Amino acid sequence: MKELKKRVAVVTGGSRGIGRACCAAFAREGADVAFTYNKSAENANTLLKELKKYNVRAKAIKADVRDYNECQSVIKKTLNSFSKIDILINNAGIVKDKALFMMKPDEWHDVVDTNLNGTFNMTRAVITLFLKQKSGCIINMSSVSGIAGIARQTNYSASKAGIIGFSRSLAKEVASYNIRVNVICPGYIETDMVNSLNANIKKSIKESIPVKRLGRADEVAQLCVFLAMDKSSYITGEAIRIDGGLAA
Amino acid sequence: MAKKKVDFDKVKKDVKKTISQITEVSEEELKEDADFTNELGIDSMMALEMVAAIEKKYKIVIPEEDIPNIRSLKNIYSILEKNLKK
Repeated sequence: MKELKKRVAVVTGGSRGIGRACCAAFAREGADVAFTYNKSAENANTLLKELKKYNVRAKAIKADVRDYNECQSVIKKTLNSFSKIDILINNAGIVKDKALFMMKPDEWHDVVDTNLNGTFNMTRAVITLFLKQKSGCIINMSSVSGIAGIARQTNYSASKAGIIGFSRSLAKEVASYNIRVNVICPGYIETDMVNSLNANIKKSIKESIPVKRLGRADEVAQLCVFLAMDKSSYITGEAIRIDGGLAA
Repeated sequence: MAKKKVDFDKVKKDVKKTISQITEVSEEELKEDADFTNELGIDSMMALEMVAAIEKKYKIVIPEEDIPNIRSLKNIYSILEKNLKK
């Protein structure tokens, strides 16, 4: 029995990396999936075809999560196509790593606007619907960098720590409306983001991880699916690390 | 076919009763101008409950941008009047 059958999930930043794995994992469990992409239309089209193989409805929406109006439009378009929304995965995120003394204000703002303000924009756009229907599940993608802090990631760490605070506060605010809000904090996952690092850095990263390997996007996606299922109905306001023991 | 005229006095009476049930504030206390939060001690989240109940009862959709303006019974009446006229 597919546990998420007849549920509708919205995944931001769905065309690549962890977001893409989440879209596939939700579709595999029977959920209809609407995902946003910002630049990679080709990846989005490929993913659409892949998702439809699972006999679910799928929709790709071009949107920039930094723009509140675009986020509202994502919710409206999803409702027009699927009539309801049960799950929101705020996954869209970027990195612009640099030592603070080299970081330009634009590099700070871009990261905070996409990762933290984007999470606000999408959540704000859907929350009235969730409150009215008295159900909903929100999963926000943070990072171990939001818990432990990683050098040259002040912008990223700040945005990801902000997501944790935002989620914990919201979890308490909406718990009585049967809405759960949780956070996933991945460590180093094999995605374009990590693959773009040079071989030596990758090697030293692997050595620093207790399980001695990078995580896989589908491992994060499985946690995401679990947090959307009724099996996790008593979990809210939680931030779960999935990092091979990195920040243990 | 001519559109059925809405008896707004009856609507007001019904709405007041509904809001009283949701907020557990008596109809006598629920004055038109009384501020929900400051004067009646109603949790701001209750606005959503009110909206949901009204939408269900009158089969309308109250625009999201109107919700933050719901601070008294009077606000609800005016939002409802605007929407029922549509």
